[in-house]
Formats: sequence, C-alpha cells, structure tokens
Amino acid sequence: MFKNYVANGVFDEMFMEEGKPRPHYEPVFRQLTNLSSSAFQRRRRMADITFRNQGITFTVYKDASGVERIFPFDLVPRIVPSAEWKLIERGLEQRITALNLFCKDVYHQQHILREKVIPPEMIYSARMFRREMIHVNVPNDIYIHVCGTDLIRDKDGNYLVLEDNGRTPSGVSYVLENRAVMKRVLPNLFDTYTVRAVEDYPFNLLQCLKELARHPVDDPTIVVLTPGIYNSAYFEHSFLARQMGVELVEGKDLIVDNSRVYMRTTAGLRLVDVIYRRIDDDFLDPLCFRPDSILGIPGLMNAYRCGNIALANAVGTGVADDKAVYPYVPAMIKFYLQQEPILNNVPTYVCAVDEDRNYVLEHLDELVVKSTNESGGYGMLMGHQASADERAEFARKIIHDPRNFIAQPVIQLSQHPSLVEDHFEGRRVDLRPYILYGKNVAITPGGLTRVALQEGSLIVNSSQGGGSKDTWVLEDAH
Amino acid sequence: MSTQSDNTEAKKSIKQDWAMQTQSVQNQFQSISFQGRIPRSPTGKPMLARVAESMYWMSRYMERAEHVARIVLVNFNMLMDLGELAPAMQEKQWQGVLRILRLDNLPEGQALLCASDRNVGQRVADFMTFNTINRNSLINCLTKARENARSIRESISAEMWETLNTLYWSLLSDDAKQRLEESPQQIFQSVMMGSLLFQGVSDQTLPHGQGWQFLQLAKYLERVDMTCRIIDTKFDFLRAEESTMETPLRNIQWMAVLRSCSSIEAYRRRHVGDLDPQRVAAFLILDKESPRTIRYCVKEAQSAVAGIAASVHPQEIDPAERILGRLNSQLEFAETREFSGMGLKYVLRQIQENTAEAASAIQRSYFLH
Repeated sequence: MFKNYVANGVFDEMFMEEGKPRPHYEPVFRQLTNLSSSAFQRRRRMADITFRNQGITFTVYKDASGVERIFPFDLVPRIVPSAEWKLIERGLEQRITALNLFCKDVYHQQHILREKVIPPEMIYSARMFRREMIHVNVPNDIYIHVCGTDLIRDKDGNYLVLEDNGRTPSGVSYVLENRAVMKRVLPNLFDTYTVRAVEDYPFNLLQCLKELARHPVDDPTIVVLTPGIYNSAYFEHSFLARQMGVELVEGKDLIVDNSRVYMRTTAGLRLVDVIYRRIDDDFLDPLCFRPDSILGIPGLMNAYRCGNIALANAVGTGVADDKAVYPYVPAMIKFYLQQEPILNNVPTYVCAVDEDRNYVLEHLDELVVKSTNESGGYGMLMGHQASADERAEFARKIIHDPRNFIAQPVIQLSQHPSLVEDHFEGRRVDLRPYILYGKNVAITPGGLTRVALQEGSLIVNSSQGGGSKDTWVLEDAH
Repeated sequence: MSTQSDNTEAKKSIKQDWAMQTQSVQNQFQSISFQGRIPRSPTGKPMLARVAESMYWMSRYMERAEHVARIVLVNFNMLMDLGELAPAMQEKQWQGVLRILRLDNLPEGQALLCASDRNVGQRVADFMTFNTINRNSLINCLTKARENARSIRESISAEMWETLNTLYWSLLSDDAKQRLEESPQQIFQSVMMGSLLFQGVSDQTLPHGQGWQFLQLAKYLERVDMTCRIIDTKFDFLRAEESTMETPLRNIQWMAVLRSCSSIEAYRRRHVGDLDPQRVAAFLILDKESPRTIRYCVKEAQSAVAGIAASVHPQEIDPAERILGRLNSQLEFAETREFSGMGLKYVLRQIQENTAEAASAIQRSYFLH
C-alpha cells in the first residue's frame, strides 16, 4: 500500500527517505505493509460506522445536504517521540504564561503599551479588545484557561506556532474519541508502543474550573454553556459536559437576578458558580455586547464584574489571539518572562505597518494573506494559487483596511501518509495541542492532528474538508 | 454449653460493634454540620427544566413510534388474512388506522385512500414510515426523539443515545425504502424492538432518579393515550359492522385489537381464548398485571410523578399526582358493567381528559420556570 508513495519535497513525518521509515514509526510501518488493502478498508468502514452510531459529528454551515457530518478520520496514527514532545510542552507552557500575563497587563496597567513593545493602536483597534474588562479582576488573574495552539512543521521539521486559539478552541473531544475508535479498530498497532493516555483531559478541565469558584464550596455548580444543538461544535460541548458530569446549559436556561447567575431547574432556581462558556464574547450578554443575541444571558457581565460568577475563558481574551497581535508574541515572552521563545512564530507581515504593507502588496503571489478577524480557514488568500483577479481584489481590501490583514510566506506543512482510496499518499498535517492553565499547567499529550485531505492542499480546517488523525505521544523509553 | 455462651458473647460483640459504628456515623454527621457548610441542594442534584422537558418528549416520541409501527403492522397482517373474506374491507380498515393516529382529516391522508388501485396498504405503510409532512410518521417521531436526545446527551447514558441513534440511521439508510417494499414487517418490527431495547437499556444504564422518572411518566402517558384511541376507534368500527360479520371475521378483528395493544398473549392466558368484546375492553383497561393496560400505565405514571414531586417539593401535593391518583382509584374500583354500550366511550374520554390534564400540569410545574 506504500507503493508509489512520494515525498513531495516537504518534511515527511513517517519517512526519512523513500521506503525508509523513522525509527519511531518502524513498527507501525511494518504492520501497515502487512495489512491488505481490503483489510484496511474494512477497518475504515468500522470506524465510520462507530462515529455515525455514536453521533460523533460536527455541523457544516451553509450545507443543504444534511447538516451533520462525520469528521473524516484517517486511520494512520501520527507519532511524536517523547523528546520532541518535551520541547513542544516547554514551548507551549512558556507561551500560555506570557499570553496570560499579557491579558492581565492589557486590561490593567498596560506596561507593554507604555513601553511601546506593542503599538497601542494595534490593541485598541483589535475587534476583540473589550473596554468593559478594563480594571476588572478575574479569579486567580487567569484569562486563558483553555488554549488550543496550532503548530506546523517547516521543511526541516522545526515546529512553528501558526496561531493561538485563546477564545473557545474546539476539537479536544475528537482527540479522545479518535483514540477510542483507534483502540477499537486497530488494536494491534499499539502492540509495541507505550502511548501516553489522553483520557484525563475532562478531569483536568474540571479541576481547572473548580479552582475558579469564588467560595470554596465542596461541590461548586459548574456548567458548560453552549449555543445549542445547531452549533458546529455541539457534539463537543455535550461530550465535555458528559465527561465532567456537569450540566450543559443554553442561554435560556440561565437567568441573572441581583447580579447572581441562576439556572432554571425543575425545582426552581439554583445558583451557578462557574461557567465554561463556548459562546463568543459578542453573544454572551445582549445588554453589554450584541443586543440582538438570543444565545446569551442578559446581565451576565454585571454578575461577572461583581465577581459572582467565574467565566472560562475570561471575556476579552480575543485580544491575545488577534492575528495582528500574534507577531508580537515573541516580544511578549521577552518582555514578561525575560526568556527567548522556545517555539518560533511563522514570519508575519503586519499590513498596518507601512513597510510590511508595501512588501505584501508587491509580493502577493508568494504570500498567504489572512483576515485578522476570521477563523476556520475563511477570508484567506493563497497567493500562489489565486488568480490575478482574486489577488487584485485582496490588494484593494488591504489598502482599504490594512489593520484587518496580515501576510505570511507559504509554509509547506509537513506531510503524513493518509489513506487515499486503496493506498497511502502524503497529505499535509498540523497539530493542535490543548493547554489547560490553572494552578498547574496541564497539556494533553498529543492533541488533534488535522489533515488536509485534498491533494496538495494546505488548509486543514474541518469546515474546509479536513480530517483528523489519532496522535500518539510516546512514553520515555527507560 | 460453652458453645452457647460463645455465641452470646459473639452476639454481644456484634451488637457493640454495631452500636459503635452507628455512633461513629453520627459523629461524622455532627462534624459535617458543625463545619457550617450547607449543601447546595437538599433534594439531590437539581435537574434543568429544559433537560426534564427533553427527557419527557424523547420518551414520548419513542413510545409513539413503537405504537405507530405496531398499529400499521397489525393492520397489514390482518388484511392479508381478510383478503379473501372481505375484499371491500381494505379501505375501511386503513381509514381506521388513520383515525387512531388522527390523520384521517388530513388531505394527504384522504388522498391515500381515494386512489382506486389495490396498493392502499403499501401506500399507507410508506406514508406512515417516510413521509415528513405526516407528523406521526416513524421518521418524524424518531427524528424528534433523537433531536431531544441530542440536546441532552450529557444527561442520558451513552448506551441510550447509541441505541436511539442507530435506530434512527437505520431508517435513513439508502436501502430503507426498498426494505419496506420487500418486507414491511421487517421495518416495523425493527422499530418496535428498537423502542423496547431503548426502554431496557434506559432501565439498566440510567440511574433511577428524576430523569428516569420523567422517561417513565412520558412513556406511560403516551401508552394510555394510544391505548384509549385504539380501543375507541376499533370499538366504534366493530359496533357498526359487527352485525354483518361472520364469526371467523369477527375473531380476526378482535385479535387485531389485542395485537395492536401488544396484549394478545396476556389476554389468551387470562380468558382462555374467549373473544368477547366486553372482556377485551375490560382487560385492556383494567388488568392489573399486564404492562400494556391502561390501569397499569396510570399507576406507573402516578408513581413516577410522585417520585419527581418527592425530590422537587416534598412538602406539597403535586397537581398531576392528584389527577393521576384519582384516576387510578377510579380504575381500581371500576366495574366491568360500566363498559357496556356507550359507557365505554364515556370512560375512555374521561381517561384521556385526565391524562391530558396531568400532562399540562406537569408542563406547568416542572418545565416552565
């Protein structure tokens, strides 16, 4: 099945050179070569049926043919050796620490702006900067409790940070479900490995949320707030609530009275202590943010500012994962921690800076342009693949509103063998580890490996036809 | 002698142990109460009103799907037996099915019966299975059951969700239409068994707390309503036609009534094959032990409401509990005589009115906070 497998001139996760797997992939490679194509197909179907019957799905917007889809699962696992993982872990911990210090600073003293490490106009023009949060104290001074950071590998195999998702990152449920399905359909693959477990994520998340309860009650009331069953990540919201054993609530289940938050139960109102919210700031409270939001809870921000309710993540963290603020993260690390960044950024041009903008406009055909306010692979220009018209249109947009755009050179993501029809081909992958930041930092070993299933595509987002893989972090070999 | 004294010694020491244990438990309680921590909800973990409502409707739609499948299937099979005996009966029988499901006034329902070819059965089967305009079609019932389940997945067991979801997808699979044409029996049977499996899975995987009580309550209310409708419609029909019917024909009809309520075996054992209309009615309404009878369901629904009320507001009497409790005693002390002639109609209407009132009382007490 590995016949005709080619390297495509990028970093290959499995192979050092043609036909020669890296040492940590060797046992998997051997087993896969011994498996016939039909046997492999059978497992794939088994996996698909499992996903469908268990309802492990996501919702695609603007799709007429049925809204629920299975997240395509690619059976070949991605393997990260323990030494590599240690480096990633250190780098992520450093980064989330700096991001949290940054949030606290930006909403209080603003040292980093006074000292011009980051231009103040960049922050004040960020759409996700929340003036409502200025001088509001949040529990334990933590803003980003849950972070999903996207990592990619350049052609030499170096890990780079592509973006931080510090608002409501999703996908962690697939990490757990992928592992469960993998154990079910290809148990033999685990034989010669010691793979680090991922199952304790919900437990760690619950601990992290418990720390936020203002009064140290034995059993604080914690809820997961979802926009509802039509949200694309609804499965995950319900999954996490189920795994943590807490209520999954919608906005209409909560009510604010006298600056306290209650949920409506069969026995009347019950006080709520902590909300793990999976609703964006914009929709959280119609009295404070978008007045047309019916997903939110009127008065929630007031209760929040009074300290009567804890939110994870805090309101206003969007300022830290704004794409135009991202280029300044290495500077934040130096400023707050006096350390050199362990994980590097992708070189980025900020269109709001004149010099950068001119460069971008001249080199549109070799850059990736991203809108700073979009996610999920929307609002992007892949310069080298776009037509002259598309490039011209983006040039107009950039000149019209430079703050809204950044550009990066095309990074050739690493590739990994994926099942394509009846054989394996190289497909581009990234990696999103999930970081929990409480009194301790807990990083789930591995994370979600997303695959661009289209040949040659560099876009791995599920909304753009991406799939995912089980990701194995190996235990140290003693 | 010595053994006996040993024995008494042993008993004494056990007694002492026991006393010490109780004391230490009491101490624990005291130490808890002295820490000044007041438990948040004295009546156990509270349940979201929305979750309770979804539990209720999930269960009701699942039960409804089971009844729809059974009613259509029974009629299908009966008409195969009747085919030679009474060819003109076809349309009237299907009319009866639509009436039970309150679809006889729908233009779509009328249209099914009007066409003159002989495939009425196949058309109704299709209409009752896949039609999305028909609010009682299997696909609509299961979709609603599943939508409700999907919104409370964290509150039901994984096994319940998987059972329901698998059943749903089996009806949506590409070959489902073909399967229905080849063997309607197979499809309807799979829905009936799916519903029963779901009930069994629920009983054995979900803690029997408030949520489970809502499942029970909804299931039994739905069953009472359906059973009333079946008896009412069928008795009307048979009263009008009976004089013209021959005995074998009549027996087939009465057996079909019992089958529609999944009660034929239980009835046979009770009355050794004697198919007397009054007895059939009395059995379906009053039998104490069969889980398909009205009295049994009312009793179970009442105890479910009582369970919910006890954990929510132990001091008060719940309005729904009161209604169901009264109805229960009425059924408990009813006389078969009351079911003769038009009395049956009156009794059935009363039962339906009572259960409807109970359902709206539940809505008011628990879902609208």
